[in-house]
Amino acid sequence: MPVRDGAAALARTLSTLRDRASAFGGVTVFLVDDGSDVALDIPKATETFRVVVARHVVNLGQGAALETARQLALASPPRFTAYVTMDADGQHLEGDARALASAIEDGADVAFGNRFLGDSNVPASRRVVLFFARWFERAITGLALADAHNGLRAFSREALEQVRIRQNRMAHATEIKLAVSRASLRFVEIPVSVRYTPETLARGQSNAGAAMILCDLMLQYLFGE
Amino acid sequence: MTLAAICLLVLVFGLVAFDWATLRGKNRRALFVEVAVLVGGAAFIVFPERATALAHVVGIGRGVDFLLYPTVIWLVRESLLSRRRRIEDAERLTHVVRAFAIANSKSS
Repeated sequence: MPVRDGAAALARTLSTLRDRASAFGGVTVFLVDDGSDVALDIPKATETFRVVVARHVVNLGQGAALETARQLALASPPRFTAYVTMDADGQHLEGDARALASAIEDGADVAFGNRFLGDSNVPASRRVVLFFARWFERAITGLALADAHNGLRAFSREALEQVRIRQNRMAHATEIKLAVSRASLRFVEIPVSVRYTPETLARGQSNAGAAMILCDLMLQYLFGE
Repeated sequence: MTLAAICLLVLVFGLVAFDWATLRGKNRRALFVEVAVLVGGAAFIVFPERATALAHVVGIGRGVDFLLYPTVIWLVRESLLSRRRRIEDAERLTHVVRAFAIANSKSS
């Protein structure tokens, strides 16, 4: 779970996860503080819930934070059955995270959240951007997914080992799908509900960010491995 | 001399004076190279027929093209190299910040 500032929303998200951790069979949150300017309040561990916090001393971007969390998770005991990425700002529901984890337990390598099949209040402008993003990603990854750039995803351990993120900023979502495609991982799409509020829209990615993503992907194509 | 040539000369010698004043104590050798290149460019502004004569020697029609072609090629190459260096620096920074974060991670 990447986070930068937004301490109040993070506290609510962690509190909800802690309350449901027992029902989920245990939850470990790998929280990466991506250069927050404010102190983050981390709840105490319980028998079924704990938070591992790593802090980037400078802001690197969401993709970099996700990669740090991935490396932490792969290096930390105990072995997990499902690894879920979700936003810290309360956009994602813990029940949906559980549904994605269940898909992994049922045999999928990767589960992607699909906000259009769930009860999401997606703004019209975001729908337009995501419509074009979906076709762009389909063209370059070959994956026919209905929802591009949904932060709610789940991986098996074996899949997670194959999905290394090099894109520090928001282009990591495309990079993940490219890795899934190249590794021929089995994937499913699960309906999820994404809650847009004035707070999450203000803190989240802007529609203009799509141009930055294209730029980052182009640079990786030119200069990447 | 045309008005455009005078403006270019003012720009060139203005840059030379500014860089000499601000960088004199730091990068003397690089500063000498810069001054030499800019003064050479200024000479071609004052005597454009010399640039044209040189251009004709290598089969290029105009003196300005003789100077522009290699300059554009060099700038494009420098731009790509500079971009690659920035990406490599960003990757190194990411590696260091991540290693520090993981080494100092704490469990609640």
